[in-house]
Amino acid sequence: MKTTFRQSMSWLHTWGGLWFTWILFAIFLTGTLGVFDDPISHWLREKGKIGEFTPLTAEQRADAVRKAQAYLQEKSPRAEFWTIGLPDDENPELRVFWRADDDAPVHRLRLDAQTGRELPPGTARETEGGHHFVHMHFEFHAGMAGIWIVGAATVAMLVALVSGIVVHKKIFTDFFTFRPGKGQRSWLDGHNALGVLTLPFLFMISYTGLIIFWSIYMPAGILARYAGDEDAFFAKLNEGPPPRPMQFADAPVHELASLMQRGEAAIEREAGFVVVNHAGDRSAAVRIFGRFDPEAETDRLVGRSNGSALFDGVSGETIDVQKPNTVRGGNVLQTQRTMNALHFVRFGGYPMKWLYFLSGMAGAAMLATGAILFMVKRRKKSANEFGGATPRVYRIIEALNVAAIAGLSLACIGFFWINRLLPLDVAQRGTREIVLFFALWLLTLVHAGLRPPLAAWREQLAAVATLCLALPLLNLATTGDWLFAALARGDGETAGVELTAIAFGLIFAAALRQLQRRMAKPAVDTRIDEKTGAPANDVAPATGGR
Amino acid sequence: MSVPFASPRPRSALLSRIVAAVFGGYALASVFSIFVSHLLPAELPEAVLGATLFSFAVYTAAIVWVFAAASATRAWLGLLIPGALMGALAFALQVGGAA
Repeated sequence: MKTTFRQSMSWLHTWGGLWFTWILFAIFLTGTLGVFDDPISHWLREKGKIGEFTPLTAEQRADAVRKAQAYLQEKSPRAEFWTIGLPDDENPELRVFWRADDDAPVHRLRLDAQTGRELPPGTARETEGGHHFVHMHFEFHAGMAGIWIVGAATVAMLVALVSGIVVHKKIFTDFFTFRPGKGQRSWLDGHNALGVLTLPFLFMISYTGLIIFWSIYMPAGILARYAGDEDAFFAKLNEGPPPRPMQFADAPVHELASLMQRGEAAIEREAGFVVVNHAGDRSAAVRIFGRFDPEAETDRLVGRSNGSALFDGVSGETIDVQKPNTVRGGNVLQTQRTMNALHFVRFGGYPMKWLYFLSGMAGAAMLATGAILFMVKRRKKSANEFGGATPRVYRIIEALNVAAIAGLSLACIGFFWINRLLPLDVAQRGTREIVLFFALWLLTLVHAGLRPPLAAWREQLAAVATLCLALPLLNLATTGDWLFAALARGDGETAGVELTAIAFGLIFAAALRQLQRRMAKPAVDTRIDEKTGAPANDVAPATGGR
Repeated sequence: MSVPFASPRPRSALLSRIVAAVFGGYALASVFSIFVSHLLPAELPEAVLGATLFSFAVYTAAIVWVFAAASATRAWLGLLIPGALMGALAFALQVGGAA
């Protein structure tokens, strides 16, 4: 039997889409929340209550770097790298990071900028902040393995977009077609309208996402044309100084505070980070990075940078200076950088961030409706794709749908609750928050596996709606700060997070109400529940409100 | 609209197509990025980057092709022939350029 192009694409769209939809939904939801990682961090760290951060003076910065260098020298005199993060608005403490060698774990600690001592747990609400969502988005907190999973899913997304366009011959008419309350037909209309509405955004965000990690995902060119020497390749591409390989000869690290001052003078901007590569080795190099300025240059896509100055880490000799917002490298590199900036929405300020937020949520909703549509269709009439195992496979897909869509939403809003409820003085608090986030997500999967599908949907949607709507009250109860206080002092970030949570709470409550209406209708088709083993009134309503 | 998951295509042919799409498509995109890096009118590091920027579109197109082809054999041939051609030309350009 000959299949047409559209039939093959329909098959590819259905099955390629299904197996990746759960991962893709997670990537879209967390990435969209990540658009507002700064306001989310602001809320999670109670910065609205703590008040404005007083920037350090030049002398205080030099002193902080001296303290950090003494600490790192004692902890790890030889290291692949040391990084010193100077206190700033987002992180008011002095931060140090180091890694002894390639295989060792990265250590990260917070120090008191005045004394140089480790801060005991409980002195501040230690949290990964909004970056948690960004890390979920591109690597699921799983390092290189996570980056590859996200990359594979992104390619699947591109394939699903192409095959989706082929399947929908009436793409323009479909966009203006929405038939609510018609069960399966409504899910399809919703899926189509959301997909067509956000199509250019979806192509852009998926493709540019792959381009960010191009050298990891597609290293063939560097392997074949540069014999895999990435350092040499990137030095040439970025028109920077040549790489400095390890020399395996001990040499003391130059005094960093004076290098920082020289670096700040050279780039005409305050330092944000001091990085020492190959600390303790004769090949050591020190790079002073300019402080990130979110307000600057929001009207340009190309050539945004914080500036940096590079010094020989032993002699202190200047190797290279790049001033902030200068362009280096050729047109192709600028193209790639522009694609990065498009992905990270590093332009256009808040209006553009909101546009990305809405487009990203529409994309997530498109994925969710697609996954739900798959099952709505098959609850009505089993397509029997897996022979005798079909009911079992459907049951697993139902559970994964609930856990991936409602369950992840629950874990995301739950992260805000974990942040406020976890005691301040537990060790490794930032990591604990993330572990609890995953535990909550896993719990939603267990719940979805134990409960009948529609009951699982109902209960998890209700939980999401409750946690979203009650977020301002949680904040009030645990910190004494909340929406109205934030609005009164003009703290748009705190108020924005809580108002957005309320908006989501209302959306989830509306979804819940819709679901309960359907569940209240009498059973139409009882044939299916023999297969799924679910009670009749749990299955039948999904056959559509005909 | 829904074509059953397993039939009418035999399971081994489906598996062959999935391998062709995931690994064959990736190999084709990789060879493409090397070949095109020889052709782009840019300095070497930029040519490699430029070619790679396009390679993800090639990967996507290759996957679509694999599932659109009339048979698994044709799907493989559709990857192998252009892949071998581009690989041979890239090799010739590499040797020629080095000499």
